[in-house]
Amino acid sequence: MEEWDVPQMKKEVESLKYQLAFKREMSSKTIPELLKWIEDGIPKDPFLNPDLMKNNPWVEKAKCSIL
Amino acid sequence: MCDQTFLVNVFGSCDKCFKQRALRPVFKKSQQLNYCSICAEIMATDGLHENETLASLKSEAESLKGKLEEERAKLHDVELHQVAERVEALGQFVMKTRRTLKGHGNKVLCMDWCKDKRRIVSSSQDGKVIVWDSFTTNKEHAVTMPCTWVMACAYAPSGCAIACGGLDNKCSVYPLTFDKNENMAAKKKSVAMHTNYLSACSFTNSDMQILTASGDGTCALWDVESGQLLQSFHGHGADVLCLDLAPSETGNTFVSGGCDKKAMVWDMRSGQCVQAFETHESDINSVRYYPSGDAFASGSDDATCRLYDLRADREVAIYSKESIIFGASSVDFSLSGRLLFAGYNDYTINVWDVLKGSRVSILFGHENRVSTLRVSPDGTAFCSGSWDHTLRVRKTSFHFAV
Repeated sequence: MEEWDVPQMKKEVESLKYQLAFKREMSSKTIPELLKWIEDGIPKDPFLNPDLMKNNPWVEKAKCSIL
Repeated sequence: MCDQTFLVNVFGSCDKCFKQRALRPVFKKSQQLNYCSICAEIMATDGLHENETLASLKSEAESLKGKLEEERAKLHDVELHQVAERVEALGQFVMKTRRTLKGHGNKVLCMDWCKDKRRIVSSSQDGKVIVWDSFTTNKEHAVTMPCTWVMACAYAPSGCAIACGGLDNKCSVYPLTFDKNENMAAKKKSVAMHTNYLSACSFTNSDMQILTASGDGTCALWDVESGQLLQSFHGHGADVLCLDLAPSETGNTFVSGGCDKKAMVWDMRSGQCVQAFETHESDINSVRYYPSGDAFASGSDDATCRLYDLRADREVAIYSKESIIFGASSVDFSLSGRLLFAGYNDYTINVWDVLKGSRVSILFGHENRVSTLRVSPDGTAFCSGSWDHTLRVRKTSFHFAV
């Protein structure tokens, strides 16, 4: 960024003004909602639920059978 | 009496005002001109003006950055780990390698899953791009690119095409055909053109548009059919190394990370940077949206992974350990977002509890750097690619409580 000339610097300033205008929300609102989203999704997450693994396509289903 | 500098008076026509005056040599962009003393003075102050403008812009930028920090701090009323205290800790995980895909002749640089949850496309330093059926480990397609270091590859949403590129500075699309008589390379379509290497590419929601990131410091959106540039994204101060599109429900944004240590969120329609985060201490190698679209994670050469809350516009977690000193090259979330998988340059994969900030598993197996890592679309497995020429597909064997 040190090598930037005037036009590039102007764009950077404009971009920063745009970013400043962003409508931010309070962490006390967003973080609990993030948590809730995760908790709602946990039952469906194959990595966290051994039950779902029963239907897992990667697991060999049964032992070998002698034909 | 010491040295004296003598000013030689040359009379002639000034190169600027053309009046007959005593001239002084003046150097502009290493070319010598002869200016009269008046024009020479004016030029000296012009230079000053330009410097002043640059300096004033720089200080304006600094003060805006300061204001951004202030605004962000106002919203910092709660910490993630505080809120997460009430959540049950995860136990220990055992994740087994279910498939090892061998066939690349050199470092695997990138991979992507097909939406059918079983096919994988991977690209390598050897110039080859291979499409695998990961259940059977069969290679279904292989293309040799005209360049080595194919750093980026992506599967089209329809499953009917792949995109790839690297040192050729281009992103090319290859339709996948099962006709044995057809030569895949013959159907190649060059879509994107950058002025430096292609570091990442991704189809948008359809096969019709591709988003690219490049060593030339820009990202760009292209129409596949015509090869036309639809939008370009300028703002990174150095090579852009990675990008990820927001999950379709949340709208038209994407996040990119670069060698300037910045992660930037862009509006795809306007080309504007909506949010930027500069908390990493080194190159950002990988960025991945959180499944809900309200956050994203990044992995960096500073050996940390970080989580950013997009709605509160701040970094909310750092995943690091003193014992981890090598850069994180690639990150991805599990389906619920509770786990963050990260591949590192010390050949390991660390699995982090996103909420608690603790590491729940460390996976070995690769014999060189892990360069790329993606969780399958249905969340049942994840695949990692490495400089050891192989790809490994892993799933949890079992998860036992602490």
